[in-house]
Amino acid sequence: PGAAVPGKQCPSACQCEEDGILLLVDCSEQGLSSVPTDLSPLTSYLDLSMNNISEIQPNAFHNLHFLSELRLSGNHLRHIPGPVLQGLYNLKVLMLQNNQLERLPSEDPWELPNLLSLRLDANLIMEVPARTLSGMRSLRHLWLDDNALTEIPVSALNDLSSLQAMTLALNRITHIPDYAFRNLSNLVVLHLHNNMIRTLEQNCFEGLHSLETLELNFNELQEFPVAIRTLAKLQELGFHNNNIKAIPEKAFVGNPLLQTIHFYENPIQFVGRSAFQFLPKLHTLSLNGATEIREFPDLKGTSSLQVLTLTRAGLTGLPFDLCHLLPKLRVLELSHNVIEELPSFYHCASLQEIGLQHNLIKQIEMNTFQQLSSLRSLDLSWNRINTIHPDAFSSLQSLIKLDLTGNRLSILPLTGLTSLTHLKLKGNMALSRSFREEDFPNIRVIEMPYAYQCCVFGACNSYKAAGQWEEQMGSEEEDLQKKALSLFPVHADNNYDLDLEEFQLAIEESKVQTSIQCTPIPGPFKPCDNLFDSWV
Amino acid sequence: QHKQVTGVSSQGCQGGCQTCSVYNGCLTCKPKLFIHLERDGMRQFGVCLASCPNGFYGTRSPDRNDCIKCGSECDSCFNRNFCLRCRAGSYLHKGKCTESCPDGLVPSDTMKECV
Repeated sequence: PGAAVPGKQCPSACQCEEDGILLLVDCSEQGLSSVPTDLSPLTSYLDLSMNNISEIQPNAFHNLHFLSELRLSGNHLRHIPGPVLQGLYNLKVLMLQNNQLERLPSEDPWELPNLLSLRLDANLIMEVPARTLSGMRSLRHLWLDDNALTEIPVSALNDLSSLQAMTLALNRITHIPDYAFRNLSNLVVLHLHNNMIRTLEQNCFEGLHSLETLELNFNELQEFPVAIRTLAKLQELGFHNNNIKAIPEKAFVGNPLLQTIHFYENPIQFVGRSAFQFLPKLHTLSLNGATEIREFPDLKGTSSLQVLTLTRAGLTGLPFDLCHLLPKLRVLELSHNVIEELPSFYHCASLQEIGLQHNLIKQIEMNTFQQLSSLRSLDLSWNRINTIHPDAFSSLQSLIKLDLTGNRLSILPLTGLTSLTHLKLKGNMALSRSFREEDFPNIRVIEMPYAYQCCVFGACNSYKAAGQWEEQMGSEEEDLQKKALSLFPVHADNNYDLDLEEFQLAIEESKVQTSIQCTPIPGPFKPCDNLFDSWV
Repeated sequence: QHKQVTGVSSQGCQGGCQTCSVYNGCLTCKPKLFIHLERDGMRQFGVCLASCPNGFYGTRSPDRNDCIKCGSECDSCFNRNFCLRCRAGSYLHKGKCTESCPDGLVPSDTMKECV
């Protein structure tokens, strides 16, 4: 430390750096208990964070007319009178977070006409007096989160028409009154999460013409926030972890630009059929446990949906034109409903995952899954499927996971299943035929109804003597090393940045490919021969 | 110096650490400070800060405060989708960094904004 730059004194405990004719001064984490008195008037950046300053001398900054950024975060400040910040006309960023500020000046407010960012988060502020922010008309970004506010500082906010982003999260706010943000026409982001908000007045968001992100997560909302209907520019809405039981009809009619809605962890029972209509930018919709839903929601005009999760409801069927409505669907998760019949998913060409487990499906037609060339995972477990059309899977060239556990199959059509790596058939007690290894050339994990069906996949070899097993493992280990090194050539000259994680994964991957995991494993009481057939 | 079997200690920790380990620095921070994971080759080293470094923003929750990476186009940000300052070559307008400005506004290289 000490003078780093001739002609521009640098306080002894600080580090200084020249920025043209100006000076950047860093005095952070020096155990200081007061602001250095010999600061250069050419200081444009001053970092006093993480010290032990509990009070600022009245004239500490009086000659710092070039100061653009002042960091006082992580000190023990309880109060900063208005005159202390007098004359800082060029100040753009003021960081006061992580102090012990309890009250803010009101009679003699801070005059900071060019301030853009004000951090007051992580203090003990219980209220923001009406005139506190009146001297900061250019303010764009305001942090008041993690304080002790019990209400929205409506009057104080009235002067901030330039405000673009604000967080009032982690306070004790319980209610939002009408016109709380009346003049904040430029506000784009508003965080209100982790408060105790129970009620919202119908017009509480009036005036927020530019709002794109609204976070109401982790509050105590009892009703759906209908006040959002005035937010025409809203793109991201969160109200998860509240106590909302119903989503009304036309719930988002005023928010056509919505892309994401997070509302999990609410005891939602009822959802209006038209609730999610006309949301052309929405890409994810997930509803779990809304038991009062009987009919599939009307998703007219919500054609960009990629992920639809609708589980544990009372759905009995799906619209026949589902794929015309949702042509971009990638993940369809409808488990734990009471669906009996399936439409054709023919036009859902982007579908990669289908989850229909725990329904009442009886049969799979030829065209149910036709042309789903991107489908990778199909879960039909725990239904009542007794017949599958021989060509039902014929065009599923990307299918690697098929789960038919707990159905009533006696025949499994094999056409189209050659790329499977995971197949589950447990519980289909009438499916007693033996398969051949060439039926599933890529299989790695397979669950069969009977042990003898595993023999063809090498499961019977596990009887081998232990010694022989280790010997074989030894030589196998060497092959793996050579194989892994061929994946990651190490060139002495260009010190190849080997990512250890990938290297270990490659070894694990090579090991797995050589062994098929088939259950149930044959044993003394589950022999390899199909005793039942030989007795008959 | 009280060191548990795992090498985690609350004694002798740097700055705002609550608990730390020799190898990974801060594991938890004192109340209201943000934990930031710095990369040192393959190693991650925790530090506790009152404000996150450039390119990261702070998220507060009742039990933890983290530094999270901004969107790639921001130099600093308020949250993942709202920039405070842009990287060289793009201009800030209402939290977005764009290479050209909307009608009626012009790019200012000194302020890196549309004005």
